[in-house]
Amino acid sequence: MIHSFAEWLQSLPLAVLVSESWFPQVESAHVFALTLFLGLLITVDLRLVGWGSQHMRFTQLSDQLLPWTWLAFGCAAITGGLLFMANATTYVDNVPFQAKMALLVLAGLNMGFFQFVTFRGVAAWDDRAATGAARWAGITSLVLWTGIVTFGRWIGFV
Amino acid sequence: MTIATFSDWLSNTAPSQFIQVTNWIIPTMQTIHILCIALLLSAAVLVDLRIFGAGLRSETLTQVADRFVPKIWACLPVLLVTGLILIVAEPGRTLGNPAFYVKMISLLLVIGVTLWLHRYARSARPLSALPALLAIVSVLLWATIIVSGRLIAYIESI
Repeated sequence: MIHSFAEWLQSLPLAVLVSESWFPQVESAHVFALTLFLGLLITVDLRLVGWGSQHMRFTQLSDQLLPWTWLAFGCAAITGGLLFMANATTYVDNVPFQAKMALLVLAGLNMGFFQFVTFRGVAAWDDRAATGAARWAGITSLVLWTGIVTFGRWIGFV
Repeated sequence: MTIATFSDWLSNTAPSQFIQVTNWIIPTMQTIHILCIALLLSAAVLVDLRIFGAGLRSETLTQVADRFVPKIWACLPVLLVTGLILIVAEPGRTLGNPAFYVKMISLLLVIGVTLWLHRYARSARPLSALPALLAIVSVLLWATIIVSGRLIAYIESI
């Protein structure tokens, strides 16, 4: 199932174009977008954990940074999707790639839980370092994204 | 001594040989390098955005620059060390590579631009054409550094 989907994806004209002519450029754009995304996300996560930006309310920092963070994430996701299409049949069997995708899902769940559950109590820690669930959301995010970059880089080494 | 003979000599030294036979060192150094670029790039972009009145608007440009420019300087030594280890590991791949020299020249230029922008940010002068232009140049130079860094893997060494 997944293999026939990968074969179909890889046979699309766009995928062929990327794999034959644009892979290094798309990969460079992916690195630029993901490093910008990650740096901004780390800044917000560290504020949660209690490191840096403590003179600002959490919501003040996140309101100002998250639009740019999501913009960069969107670019990283689009370029990442193009890279995947170009070599889909190889990537689906690539263990670091599979690990990266699994961690991405976990990072998404962590973010969703924080946004829709933990964030309701923001008033209690908006003006100080977060404690409890909010602090753990920050730590979990930092660990997961470090793992995502690590496995992402490892994709090319196996 | 040419670059090629120096590269050959370096790749035969004990440290280079050790890195070459220890599989995890290169991807680990690249991962640390990328994480550090993430911190650096987001710091630079936050300063550049603030010059245009975007991003961290709740702080003054002086506050944003005083907070984030030192983070750029703090990242550079880590990037230098991990980068040097990667060069020692594969000197031929890097030292004879035009993309590497584009990266290094852009790095020198962006250090100058960043020093200038930090001084401008502290001067509390209103936005004029030159700082606006240099803020854009700064983002473009960081992008060039990231893109040419990735292209080292694709461009043939001379």
